[in-house]
Amino acid sequence: MRTDARIEDLLRELAPQVLGSLVRRHGQFDACEDAVQEALLAATQQWPERGLPDEPRSWLATVASRRLVDNWRSESARQRREEAAAALEPPSPAQASDRDDTLALLFLCCHPSLSVPSQLALTLRAVGGLTTAEIAHAFLVPEPTLAQRISRAKQSIKAAGLTFTLPPDSERADRLRVVLHVLYLVFNEGYTASSGPALQRGDLSTEAVRLARLLHQLVPQEAEAAGLLALLLLTDARRAARTHADGSLVPLADQRRELWNKPQIDEGTALITRILGTANVGPYQLQAAIAAVHDEAPSNEQTDWPQVLALYQVLARVSPGPIVTLNRAVALAMVDGPRAGLALLGTLDGDDRMAHTHRLDAVRAHLLELAGDPAAARASYLQAARRTASLPEQRYLALRAAQLG
Amino acid sequence: MIMMFGSSAGMMETQPREWILEMIEFMHQLDSDLREAGELVSSEGLADGTQARTVTFENGITLVTDGPFAESKESVIGFWIVDVESEARAVEIASRVVAFTHGPIEVRQIMDAPPEV
Repeated sequence: MRTDARIEDLLRELAPQVLGSLVRRHGQFDACEDAVQEALLAATQQWPERGLPDEPRSWLATVASRRLVDNWRSESARQRREEAAAALEPPSPAQASDRDDTLALLFLCCHPSLSVPSQLALTLRAVGGLTTAEIAHAFLVPEPTLAQRISRAKQSIKAAGLTFTLPPDSERADRLRVVLHVLYLVFNEGYTASSGPALQRGDLSTEAVRLARLLHQLVPQEAEAAGLLALLLLTDARRAARTHADGSLVPLADQRRELWNKPQIDEGTALITRILGTANVGPYQLQAAIAAVHDEAPSNEQTDWPQVLALYQVLARVSPGPIVTLNRAVALAMVDGPRAGLALLGTLDGDDRMAHTHRLDAVRAHLLELAGDPAAARASYLQAARRTASLPEQRYLALRAAQLG
Repeated sequence: MIMMFGSSAGMMETQPREWILEMIEFMHQLDSDLREAGELVSSEGLADGTQARTVTFENGITLVTDGPFAESKESVIGFWIVDVESEARAVEIASRVVAFTHGPIEVRQIMDAPPEV
């Protein structure tokens, strides 16, 4: 079992490197990606039985190349001529590093022309080395549906004539923002973990942390990539304390902090401490800094709320939005009292972006409860319970309302 | 979840044969389009509402009765579960069906969305 896990880790690390070098040589992302998946499958079947090959990476590259050629042969002659012609056009200089290959792969899978679900699925398969079945399982959709999603994404890449190159400097910041957002979304998908199939969804969070770590290693100079890794580490560290055994939610204030993952908190805190202030501050760095303040506090009461509030005020300037205002209202309530928080929440009334979310009602309910107005708090909890689309959250909110009734 | 309301028995009685054949063709095409778009999770058509059994609780006992015989617009006749990028896309799919069938459709989100962090 341990050997299998080691093999899997190795395969997933090598997958984007092998794919990168194959695409650089042949230029056909679509066909190369299929070939690498087949090679990975062959390896998971053969390596545990026959042992690791001397050069695992060369083994994968050889098998993938062979599959690629086999697939070409089996296609029609006309198509083959086209493919051969396409293969003659080298898409980028031959001597690129594995680093650049993996990075180019990430940028390609997270291309803004692809739909968000496609970006997520393709990134997990091509860069993460997960199988279609694993991704389908994690997203709770049938395997053929996900396979189709990936194949559509690959067709879009082909149709748009997207190339396997690093984006030019002028586009780099925008493109990196999309990559960061995709990894953030993968993490959020997994962070729902409540029960049954949801437990496997938790693997998505682990995978997002792994990919964020990979990205940080590829672009160590990018402060926001480091910020994202720190944010994911510091948030994921609380996962074990976030739900009861029955899957119901435990709010941050009530979590058993001894269940938090200390090494992960230390790593995230060290990372954010090192980068904060060294470059332009961005939303991921600020959210990581806030998460670090929470994670360092021995209890909710002993949290450095003035510090949290100050960070939210900076975040509101750098990346304003209703969710930031909501969180700022909570911090303000902890510093200046619940009525101050409620007044800030009032500025969100009538905001269209809040019309379809339960968050405003949930926060208002909490602050009304703190302010000693149980009747109004109960009404807001019930309104929030009606609006949420998350089952564990709905149960939590209904329970809070019932306790006030 | 995209829920279609109506009565298949009523439709069979009132619509011409050509329309029904077109409708079947339309539903096949829609399913295949959604599958190819990588959006279809599942879809089912239900037997007519007259075949339903309704279980209720009255005066302390459970009671089984035939059918919903309520108005057909209150009876579910089929549904699609889709995994789409946005609510707007789900509404767009529903609109395509409504434009063909002219019957009412409800679009509801299935619970268990990730929490907004």
